[in-house]
Amino acid sequence: MITFLFKGVLRDKSRFLFPFLIVTIGVALVISLVGFMEGTMMGMIDNTANLDTGHLRLVNKPFYDEEHLRPLDRSLAAQKETREWLEKNSSDKVKWYPRIRWGAILDVPDEKGDTVSQTPIVGMALELKNKGSLELKRLRLDESLVGGKFPELKNEMLMGDQLAKTLGIELGREVTLIGQSFDGGLVADNYRVVGLVKFGVSAMDKKMVLIDLSDAQNSFYMEDMITDWLGFMPVKFSLKEYEEIKRNMTQPLSQWIEKPPISWAKDDRPILLTIRDQQNIGSMTDKFNIIKGFVVGIFTFLMILVLWNAGILNGIHRYGEMGLRLAFGESHWKVIFNLGVEGLFIGILGTITGCLFGGAFAWYLQEVGINMGDSFAQSGLMINDIVRARLTTGAFIQGIVPGVFASVAGNLVASLAIFKRSEANLFRELEAG
Amino acid sequence: MEKKLIKLSEVSKVFKVGEENFTALHEVSLDIESGAFMSFVGPSGSGKTTLLNLIGGLDVPTTGNIYFKESGLSSMSRQQMAQYRRENIGFIFQTYNLLPVYSVYENVLFPLLLKGSKEKEVRDRVMDIVAKVGLSDQSNKRPSQLSGGQCQRVAIARALVKDPPLILADEPTANLDTENSLQILELMRELNRQYKAAVVFSTHDEKVTRYVRREVKLEDGRILSDKNNLNGGSK
Repeated sequence: MITFLFKGVLRDKSRFLFPFLIVTIGVALVISLVGFMEGTMMGMIDNTANLDTGHLRLVNKPFYDEEHLRPLDRSLAAQKETREWLEKNSSDKVKWYPRIRWGAILDVPDEKGDTVSQTPIVGMALELKNKGSLELKRLRLDESLVGGKFPELKNEMLMGDQLAKTLGIELGREVTLIGQSFDGGLVADNYRVVGLVKFGVSAMDKKMVLIDLSDAQNSFYMEDMITDWLGFMPVKFSLKEYEEIKRNMTQPLSQWIEKPPISWAKDDRPILLTIRDQQNIGSMTDKFNIIKGFVVGIFTFLMILVLWNAGILNGIHRYGEMGLRLAFGESHWKVIFNLGVEGLFIGILGTITGCLFGGAFAWYLQEVGINMGDSFAQSGLMINDIVRARLTTGAFIQGIVPGVFASVAGNLVASLAIFKRSEANLFRELEAG
Repeated sequence: MEKKLIKLSEVSKVFKVGEENFTALHEVSLDIESGAFMSFVGPSGSGKTTLLNLIGGLDVPTTGNIYFKESGLSSMSRQQMAQYRRENIGFIFQTYNLLPVYSVYENVLFPLLLKGSKEKEVRDRVMDIVAKVGLSDQSNKRPSQLSGGQCQRVAIARALVKDPPLILADEPTANLDTENSLQILELMRELNRQYKAAVVFSTHDEKVTRYVRREVKLEDGRILSDKNNLNGGSK
């Protein structure tokens, strides 16, 4: 019987083609839209994690409280001991890397040593000279290097390409960093620009300088000192898992603070943060999830509404058939059940097609992306100029479930009209038709 | 003596039309025997279609009782009524009411699938009845590719295929020309003989009355006359 009904559904364009197209378009739109939204959001989160916050971050609270000032004097001592503690007390899934956030005035001198130009910059020190370090991959420096090479010798630096352009700096040019040391003294140290990088994040390309961790420790008198320990997990882990690791580390951290390393200052008090705790990302992701829920909900509702109407039109178109089926002894429930099965069939076919189209489009957006560099040029957001979708299982689920559900629900709601009519009424309508 | 298939006992049917009640049938009593070939004859509004609907279990009487082989239809649940129709009644309609997206073969197969039969088990039976109505070479065609007479033949095959004890035919010749009407009536008379199913027509077509063996005349929901036609049913 089911095969018989499916034959009829496939042959009857009026009851197949329209609902099929609605489901296909709806599912394709949901998958593309959710994929694009998630891609944008997760791209921003990944960028922020890689460049700034890590998935987890151990930082001295006094430093964190005045982070905007880059107070190097509030860095955390005992680098080796801290790494050991982190590796022992966090999860195996987390890999920890030290970084130093610093700020300075960048002075560009001429041959005589007179200043040609000057600008405040923000800098990051990380394991640049360690070719095996995952930090190079994480910041995609191989792809981002648009000129020159990576630092290999002492006091070599990488500079954002737009910053170099603004200051008129060419490769090999020597510049001076003027800043504050760990102990509050004035620092003036010369660096050679050996590489230009284009991060694809306007805020960084205009302001950022990268130096090796050991050079920063040397220039700023920060031997054995680190401002940030960033923990990274594979991308498959969700924000919830970062929270769980943080929870598990809370008690050991309190115990550690009670018996601190001897090189810590009296008021040193490391705190553990997840990416959600920083840059307002927690609130943003919560709002994003609500918006995403609304979008999917609205699409589902609209699909049901359209399919319901299609179902009603079909129902009217098929009163004759329904009357006939009831006259021939099919029960009301069986008629409704079969309509539900028809809806399921159309829903599944439409959903599969929608997944193919939506998936292909989202995949294209994932691989090629959309260049929104002009829009982000003035923005301080850590977001790539190329915005990409992200094809996730979640996006497919959010397309598939409403696609199938809307089709069945549309048919069932429409079938209520048939259910309420008596056989004789349908029979009379059948005769009239 | 032939067995009683259907018994109507003082059956009335009242429809509510707006604020008023309209009595379509007034305490009608009659019997239908197994293998009968009969008609309800009367003008529009005489109650013949209402009578067919009641006998076919599509509607329930307001008062009175209808019995099928001594089982009262009034006491049946909706599900039991559906089963009654599925197993015992074949319908033939004035407008054929074939399913347009299915072929001749599939239209005839449909009632058997509703009864739960598997297609491969009943394929020969369906083809056999399609052949009996003279449409073997049209079995793959859709209703839109057939003439009115051919469509009505499909409807007859569909009504007969499940071998029901009773076939209800509501104005089956009303949409056909004289030649096709006579062919259809001839065919139905022949199949009535072969299959032993009782056939009840509702009609106001004079041609039908020449073929039936019994004629029940209705007017304003009452039986005017109920007489046997000695020449009807013979070739």
